[in-house]
Order: sequence, then C-alpha cells, then structure tokens
Amino acid sequence: MATPSLIERARDPSERTLAILLLAPAFALLALIVVYPIGKLIWNSFFDLRLSGGSGAFKFVGLLNYEDVLKDKDFWNATKNTVLITLITVPGALVVGLGLALLANLPFRRRWPVRLALLLPWALPLSFAGLIFAWFFHTEYGVVNDVVRRLGGLGFEPQTMWLLKPNYAFAAICLTIIWKTSSFMALILLAGLQMIPRSLYEAAEVDGASRWQQFWQITIPMLMPSIVVALIFRTITALQTFDIPYTMTKGGPGNATETLAMLIHKTTIDYLDVGYGSTLAVCMFLLSLCVTAVYLRRIGKE
Amino acid sequence: MKRRFLLGTLALVAGLASGAADAQTTLRVFSGGANQRPDLMRKLFDQYQAANPGVKIDIETGGATSELQRQYLSTVLNAKDAAIDIYMIDIVNPAQYFGAGWLEPLNAYVGEPASAMKPYLPAYAQANVINGKIAAMPAFADAMFMYYRRDLLEKHGVAEPKTWDELSAAAQKIQKAEGDPNLQGLSIQGAPIEGAVCTFLLPYWSQGKDFNDANGRMTLDKGAAVKGLNQWLGMVDAGVIKKNVAEVKTPDTVNEFKAGQVVFAINWGFAWDRFKDDKDSKVAGKVGVMPLPAMAGGKSATCVGGWQWAVSAFSRHKPEAAKLVQFMASANAGKFLAAEGSLLPTIPSVYAEPEVVKAVPWFKDAAAVVLAGRSRPLSERYGEVSDTIRTTTSAVLARTKKPEEGVAEIESRLARVMR
Repeated sequence: MATPSLIERARDPSERTLAILLLAPAFALLALIVVYPIGKLIWNSFFDLRLSGGSGAFKFVGLLNYEDVLKDKDFWNATKNTVLITLITVPGALVVGLGLALLANLPFRRRWPVRLALLLPWALPLSFAGLIFAWFFHTEYGVVNDVVRRLGGLGFEPQTMWLLKPNYAFAAICLTIIWKTSSFMALILLAGLQMIPRSLYEAAEVDGASRWQQFWQITIPMLMPSIVVALIFRTITALQTFDIPYTMTKGGPGNATETLAMLIHKTTIDYLDVGYGSTLAVCMFLLSLCVTAVYLRRIGKE
Repeated sequence: MKRRFLLGTLALVAGLASGAADAQTTLRVFSGGANQRPDLMRKLFDQYQAANPGVKIDIETGGATSELQRQYLSTVLNAKDAAIDIYMIDIVNPAQYFGAGWLEPLNAYVGEPASAMKPYLPAYAQANVINGKIAAMPAFADAMFMYYRRDLLEKHGVAEPKTWDELSAAAQKIQKAEGDPNLQGLSIQGAPIEGAVCTFLLPYWSQGKDFNDANGRMTLDKGAAVKGLNQWLGMVDAGVIKKNVAEVKTPDTVNEFKAGQVVFAINWGFAWDRFKDDKDSKVAGKVGVMPLPAMAGGKSATCVGGWQWAVSAFSRHKPEAAKLVQFMASANAGKFLAAEGSLLPTIPSVYAEPEVVKAVPWFKDAAAVVLAGRSRPLSERYGEVSDTIRTTTSAVLARTKKPEEGVAEIESRLARVMR
C-alpha cells in the first residue's frame, strides 16, 4: 500500500487544517518582521515626514517624493556609484574567490590553516575592514605609499593622496570590498568543488584531456550552480554597500564615493527626513528586486 | 504553564519597578563622550545625590564625536525612548531636536528666558532658546582657539600674527629657519567632520561677514567665501598647511601638535589640557594661546561650540530632571568644571572667580575669545547645513572642486534649507 502523496494529503480536510495551523505561526512571524516593515516603508514614502518640523511636515504628499527623487542629482550619483561598485566588485570577488577556492582544494597535508586563512576576512566585521584599509591608504601613515616609494614610485606622485582623489578613492574602496568578500565566494565555491566526483577527472585524464580542458569542461560546468548562488548573494549585498565606503571616505571626496545606502542613512538619520529617506529606500528595494528577478529568471531557464 | 510563568515574571518586575519608584527617582543621563568629561560630571552628580537623597543618577556615555553622538541620539529619540531622562547635546542641536518635539520646554521649571538665561554668555542664551521656549541649559562652553609654539616664536623673534597673511609669513619664516621638513606651519581640520564647518566659517567671518541673519536666513557673500577658501589653499601651496589637509581630523591636529610637528594649530578648548598634561606631549610649557587672526581689514572671530543639558520630552521624571539640569547649569557647577577640568564656563563672572584664575590662568585670555565667538548657523535642519558645508569644504581642500564651484554648491543647496 503506497503512502498518499503530498497533494492527496493536502486535499484531506483534516490534514489541511492541521497544515494551516502548523504554518500560521511562521507566516505571522514573517508578516510581522518582513511584510509590515516593507509595507510601512512604502506607506511612509507618500508622506512629508521631516521630523525637525517645518511647514507642510507630517502631511500626505502623494507621489511628490518620487518626483523629487527623479530630479535629485545626489540620488543618481549614488545610484551610479552603487551600480559601478556592484559591476566591479562582484566579478572581481568571483575571480579572486574562485582562485582561492581552487588553491584551498589542492591536496594539502594540513588543510585547517588554509581554511582558517580563507575564513578570516569573512569573519572580520565590514567596518573593521574599512578602517584598516583606510589606514593602509592614508597619505602619510599608510603602508601603500611606503611600498610604492620603496618600489621606486611606480609612476605615482610621491605621497599620493589615495582617498582624496575621486578615482583613486573609488578604486581603493573596490579593492577593499573585493578583499573582504572574495573569501565568502571562496567558501561557497569550495563546497561546490568538493562535490565534483574525482572519477570525472580520472576519466578525462584517460581520454587525454589537458588540465586546462578539464577546468573548462568539467570544473566550471559542474560548479555553475554554486557560482550562481554565490553571485546572487554577493550582488544583493553589493547593492547594499555601506560600511566600507562609510568608514574609508564617508562618501568623499565630495560625494564621489557615496552609495545609495549611505544616502538613505544620511537623509534619514542626519537630516531626519524620514519620508524622503523611505522613498529612496523604496527605490533601492526596486533596484535589488530587478537584479534578483534577472538572476531568478536565468535559474528558471536552467 | 509557560504563559503563567511569563505573566508571573512580568507582574514581579512591574511590582519591583513601582516599588523602587516610590522610594527613589532614578534619573538616567546621557553624558557625551570622553571629551565631555563624564568623570567630572559623575562627581557633580554625586554631590547632587548627597544633597537630594531621593534621587539616584545613572550615567551613560557614548560617541567620541559630535556626529556619532547625534546619530545615536537621533535613533534613541526618534524611537521616543523613555529610558534616558537628560541628554547632553552639542550647541548645534537644540534647534533641530526641539523642532522635532524631542525636548521638554523648560520655562515651566526654570522661568522665562529673559530672567533664566540672563546670566549666560549671549551665544549660549541665544542657541538654547527657540521661539521663546528654553530647549536646554548650558553645561560648558567651548571655542576654537589658536594655539602656538611660544618657544619657536620667541626663538625666531616673531610676534603674534594679527592677520592670516602675517600668520602665513611667520610660519614660513620659522619652518625655513628650523629646516625640518615635517614641521607644519598651521594645522586645521579639513576632513568632512563637524570641525570643517568652522574651518569654512573662520576665514569667512574674519572678513566681517555674516553667514546668516537673526531669523536664520542665509546671507552668504559668495566672493568672501571664495576668498576664505583661497586663503587656506594659498597656505597649502606655500607649504604652511600640509597638502593632505582634507584628511586631517580633530585628534590628528592634537597629536601632531603634541609631537612638536606644528607651529600654529586651530582646535577646541580641550586640546589645551592634552598639550599641557599628556605624558607623551613634547610641547608642555611651550604653548601659547592667542585670538584668531583676521583677514586684512576684517576682525577676529572664532567658532563657539559647547554643550547643553536638555530634558527628554519622553522622560517620566521631568520635574526632577529639570531640577538636576538647573543644578548642572549653575555658576557653582561651572566653577567646579573650570577648576577641575579646564572646561570653559558659560557664565562670564565665573572666569574671574579666584579659584578658577588660580587653577587655569590662561582663562583670563580665553574669556575674550569666547565672548567674541560666533555660533554656527542655528537651524532646525542643521544636519543638512552641516553636511553641506563640511563635505564641500573638504572637497575643495582636496582640490576635487574649485572654490567657486564649492561655494556655488553651498549656496544652491542651503538656499532651500535656510530661508
């Protein structure tokens, strides 16, 4: 006698009630901590909620905040920076992370020092990483300028002000983010690498495939599901980049390295403009949603 | 079973809390960061507790800088948290916090502004009264001072400079004669921190210009603002100010001056004790204080800072809290803070008190500086005012923006905010 399938059991009224009862607490919790805040955020974005008062404060303004966002140069600047950081650091971390994962997957006699080295940057809080790298890039006290000087200048002017020039500051931030996040990439990819059966490589060797061919024909295709998962996670966190630029440059010089999350924080916490801050947050939410949808469609196709 | 246990615990906690309230009022005070000397505040609180047995005072500290404290307090107050009764806040914050309805007006407890605020220096009497309501009471004063190496000026026969150009020339003369490539002529704060607002305003004000009128409306003279920023950039080009000035924060100036690497330094009042008392200070006994230079034809002006005591609008013990605030803002408390921690008094007569003169002789010079001090723009939207000025000033000093561009940006952004 076969056990009833899930669908058959769901049709049974008594089972259905039980299922709903069992799921209800989880849904209630989810509604409380996810649906309610997002709903409230969207609701707030239709109001003028400048906490420090002023005429017209605490009134419904319809889509006015959204009109302002479209005309807001700071918003477009922050969006550009956020997208650029994502486009640079996500592939960057993938390449470095893959390299690290392949390295860690080599048959070391002792694996734990390698694994530990891989874990450490990931375990470090983001703001620590930002503060440490800010010291590295400091004009006078930083190790970067010292190394550059010892190597004969490398074509840079002496005492380059890394964090005070827009392009250098941007590059320094991207480098820090790649350093910080590639270990997370490497961990996921390492798990994927270890799931690839050895027999595939043995068979390929029998057929005379080179190491290079093995990498492209076996490793990469077998690793694809892990790569996609790592990319989704990393892309979403990259769109929310805050800690590292905040601690390294505070968005400076000017607002050359200000990201969307920083602009939202500034508007809400420093300017106490909760309505406009919510509108910016909704826009950032939509951006994340679009990017996630693209990934999910790709996965769906596969 | 579990629920009954929970209810039982709640009842017990509630019972304890109300029981405690009958016997004693506990006031929780946010007392700023280390530079606001919570250790000395604790001593004053102990005095108050001894005189008022029904009151117990808990202290909470946090945030090393004014910006960090502002972020923390904005979060706590926005959540209408009743846990903290009294806040120590920066002079730039009463307008914003009072506008947001976070501070209890103190008129009902301390009297009307005309009498209650009369003893204090004008800058503090003005900053703490908003639309006729007392939003906070002054704790202690602060101002930007010009510190200098008296030994070096004497050694090279240089008089105290009266204008920025004279200062630049004096610094260059000393730098050249000393021949030390690490010796900076002048140290100012160019990083996008609160101090950079003063860095923008000092050379502007010293041309006799106002940034805002009495109603908080902006009265920016663009030409003068550009001239002020160019004054700094000219000194960077001359090697008087170091070229990475846009990275310099308040502690950097203090540490570099302490290490003997700076001839002139602009910094807050707390720096004096660091130069004089710190074990790693190489300049103890060699430091002088003078009024800030002016632009040729202008007049000396400095940026006042300072800290205030405010009662939370969400406090459950407002009368008790207001009474404590009154004590902390009194002349006696001011005298104690001046003598023990060289914190500048907000009441002019305290500067002349014999105990104070004996403990901190330099206060006789300081009084004039603080009295001539000017407030940063008082605005309900000070967060935006400060952010715009400091970010732009820092970008100009980093030379990613021309002074003309920076000033135009300040004007266009603040035209909407300060009207």
